[in-house]
Amino acid sequence: MAPTYRSFSRRRFLGGSAVAVTAGALGMPFVRTARAQAATFKAGVITSLSGENILGGNLTKRGYDIWADTVNEQGGVEVAGERFKVEMFYGDDQSNPATGADAAERLIVQNEVDVLFGPYTSGSTIAVQPICQKYQVPMISGSAESPNVWKARPEFNFGVIPAVDTTSGLSLGVLAKLSNPAARTVAVIGVNEPFSKETGEGFRDGVAAAGLELVAYELVPPEGDLTPVISKIAALNPDIVAVGGHEEPLINVVKTSKSLNFRPKALIMHYGVTNPAFAEALGADADGTTGVAVWLPTVPYSDDVFGTAQDFAALAQKKSGQEPDYTEAGCAASGLVLGDALKRLGKKPALTAEDRVALKDAIAETDIQTFYGPIKFEKEGNHYHDNIQPVPVLIQIQGGKTVAVGPQEAAAAPFTYPLPAWK
Amino acid sequence: MKSRWLGLLLLGALLVVLVLLPLLVNNYWLRIATGALMWAGLACSWNMLGGYAGYINFGHSAFFGLGAYATALLMADPLGLPFTVTVLAGIAVTAACAVVIGAPTLRLRGAYFAIATWAFAEVLIQFATVMDFTGGIGGLSLPPFLNERFFYFAMLAAAVLTYLATWALFERSRFGLKVKALRDHEPAAEAMGINTALVKLQTFVLSAITASVFGAIFAYWVTFINPRSVFGGDITDQMVVMVLLGGLGTLWGPAIGGVALFVVNRLIWMYWGDTAFYIAILGAAIVLVVLFLPNGIAGLFARRRGGATVLDKTVEKLARAGGGDRN
Amino acid sequence: MDLFLQTLLNGLLIGGVIATFTIAFQLTFGVLHVIDFAVGGWVVLGGYLGYYMVAAFGLDGFVAIPVAFVLFGAVGYLIGPILYNVRNSRTARPELMALALTFGLFTLLRGGMLTAWGFNTRNVTTALSGESLMVGPVTVPLIRVAAALFAVAIAGGLFIFLYRTRYGLAIRATAENRHNAALMGVNIRRLSANVYGLYAGITAMAGVLMGAIYSVNPESGLRYTLFAFFVAVLAGLGSVGGALVAALLLGVIEAYVATYVGSSYSLLAIFSTLFLVLLVSPRGILRRGL
Repeated sequence: MAPTYRSFSRRRFLGGSAVAVTAGALGMPFVRTARAQAATFKAGVITSLSGENILGGNLTKRGYDIWADTVNEQGGVEVAGERFKVEMFYGDDQSNPATGADAAERLIVQNEVDVLFGPYTSGSTIAVQPICQKYQVPMISGSAESPNVWKARPEFNFGVIPAVDTTSGLSLGVLAKLSNPAARTVAVIGVNEPFSKETGEGFRDGVAAAGLELVAYELVPPEGDLTPVISKIAALNPDIVAVGGHEEPLINVVKTSKSLNFRPKALIMHYGVTNPAFAEALGADADGTTGVAVWLPTVPYSDDVFGTAQDFAALAQKKSGQEPDYTEAGCAASGLVLGDALKRLGKKPALTAEDRVALKDAIAETDIQTFYGPIKFEKEGNHYHDNIQPVPVLIQIQGGKTVAVGPQEAAAAPFTYPLPAWK
Repeated sequence: MKSRWLGLLLLGALLVVLVLLPLLVNNYWLRIATGALMWAGLACSWNMLGGYAGYINFGHSAFFGLGAYATALLMADPLGLPFTVTVLAGIAVTAACAVVIGAPTLRLRGAYFAIATWAFAEVLIQFATVMDFTGGIGGLSLPPFLNERFFYFAMLAAAVLTYLATWALFERSRFGLKVKALRDHEPAAEAMGINTALVKLQTFVLSAITASVFGAIFAYWVTFINPRSVFGGDITDQMVVMVLLGGLGTLWGPAIGGVALFVVNRLIWMYWGDTAFYIAILGAAIVLVVLFLPNGIAGLFARRRGGATVLDKTVEKLARAGGGDRN
Repeated sequence: MDLFLQTLLNGLLIGGVIATFTIAFQLTFGVLHVIDFAVGGWVVLGGYLGYYMVAAFGLDGFVAIPVAFVLFGAVGYLIGPILYNVRNSRTARPELMALALTFGLFTLLRGGMLTAWGFNTRNVTTALSGESLMVGPVTVPLIRVAAALFAVAIAGGLFIFLYRTRYGLAIRATAENRHNAALMGVNIRRLSANVYGLYAGITAMAGVLMGAIYSVNPESGLRYTLFAFFVAVLAGLGSVGGALVAALLLGVIEAYVATYVGSSYSLLAIFSTLFLVLLVSPRGILRRGL
């Protein structure tokens, strides 16, 4: 019970070092960070570099970085005939909205960034928005897909990826049209976590418009086991199973379905499928899984920074060793939005407070064509400041590769329907 | 008692610095200071039950979250109540909940109590996730109030009050002696005529409402909450580690541990924040503290065993006489 | 009726799966009196071993099971004495310090895995992955059956070891009263190292199976820790037999609630059950906990 003091001097040494460390830590606030010498535009990236959303967080970082690297190799962003490089600063939100807000305040106050690139998760994005408002710093979000972000009518935040409720529901209609014999019934599984639930709701609400019948809508907790829900749905034998979730639960849905020998005629998921890690983890079992993408390397768009969509894909592949998905593309395109707005604004760095507000107005007027597709932000309604221009493409994994199968004008390969039974 | 005057002087200086801090540092560091005050206060609230009464609450985030949700629900449309009202409402809800939950749960001992409280926090996470009025997993947004000084001073006031209450109740009153007595040997304390069930419940409720106040300020400050961000187990884990690092069952331990861990976390995060390696560093630091600083940082400065009270000694003797292996 | 039977099977198998990593956990608590937060870390490490066996050597995931036992058994053997020292140190709350140590270890493992192996979700492929058998109207997923059998085998093996060998007697004596066991000539330190090694090895083996049934991700460790803690407490801490019963009970509740009430309520139901059972029966359902 009594503490044992083996040697007095060790105790004093430890005590002394503890005081020193604490004093050092507390002294930090008074140390000014060194200022960069050359005039650059400073951009802050807030995203999940640790915690449960680490995979997506790193995808967004990759996307923003590709734009910065590319633009810097070309000499920088062009403003009034001169070129200025872009300097990137990072803040990890630890997959936690409160830390995201800390990161935003740090990037704006400490690093004095001119603009922010938004977090991977919608929760962090919602927590960061008031900080952008407070300091009047614009933010471009290349990833947040929850419709809740835009319902709050954020004045300073702009979304490059269309909210998930505009894409997941539509995709069921595309799928229904392609199916032969025509699909009639749908069961929807939503993982009860941010984004995934909204994806599930998007699927659920799109069923009627697609001329289908909803036989089950199940929300499952992310820590729960999937066998009960898969068995229940298997007993209803729907033509289509639609799943809203991130990559890990999606992998588990496929594995659990196979282990229960249940294969619907079509399995559609929203996000993880487009991520190469999905097909990598599942191997041949991933084949036939359908997904929704707002961008693919095969889309027929281009711009003068990245070239065509294929050029972008090749560049991204070279940098990370993985084929880029639409999150990475959307984040890179966020950089293009910034470059275009800075050019139109015509102000050199460092931007003043008034310049940043003007930059926000310039971003709001964006109307450009990029490798990612057209970008133009909504000015009214439930998707205020979101770019809902991109048309969702239905993709399917065939032979381990992601190929576009619908709508017909975008299809690169025929749609496999119905799926063959498990071997 | 020269050291006492020195201590008071230091304390006064600290208070002056804390009050003047908004004039000394920029908004970012003020934000970090706000967070540090919150964690110092939360660690102290956990320490009331965990350190002084010896009951390890693994679900303390439940009360932090109740305070946060009460404020978020009542401040948002359609009610739109003022913040002061919602804080008080949060305290009332939390106190009621703590009585209802605490009375049966506090009969459990050791690990059973720890895990039962964890289960309770998980129940609340699931409840907030499943229900519609809590906004489900999508969470709740609060009307943004963009005044960083308000939140700094709110956290400062809450933290100072927490520490004053802890000092008065646990270090300078009969109540504190009863609490420590039941920690050191519950049957003996009961034999001495202490109503242990009541004392435990009072401590539990006090610790719960303290956490709920910080939860309320936190929700208003961050403007967005969801079940994981306020009920999550990692919030409790942090409090526990902060208390252990600082010194269990001491007045200043939680403050030292809370501020040190939060600031060090933020520093590591600032400078090595683009990898996950800082998680490993944090883990290694915890292991090292347990191995080499088992009494926490406060233990380094503790006076030798002179400070034990008569009751402490009596209880200790009784415990020895009772003998046995009490794991 | 078919769905009812299928749900029963699903529930029992979920229980079997959870039991794989709670049985040895109970032994550790019984002997070392430590609640090991790192249990989820050992599970995930086992899963990674399975993944690398498949990805790097092209072997079947099952080959990783004995390897996991030897490898992590050795690691556990080295960690055991440290844990023992902390648990029996003369600090105010040694049981809490031991818990904090395992929490630190868990965080270290999690950060190390994230740094070393990244954040992609991995998969362990085995001969039984995705295979199933139709028994009447019920589909039986074979990999889960393998896990349940593994749990039963571990429980049975431990039972024989504890009750039919001299060393098992020493372990039981230590669990009952450390000081008396030490007086009888049991080397408690080495016994603790052995027990923790045995536990880490068994848990990592279970981890290979978890990787085959679910998937492997550094962030999923906490989930296993949560279930191990909850099942252990429901069973009564230290009760190996109780762990099987409690895991099956929770599995069956989860399955029936998910199927007949709604999947979103399944965890709410099992956490509430756990909380209520603890209030009614403070030493676990079999009232046999320490």
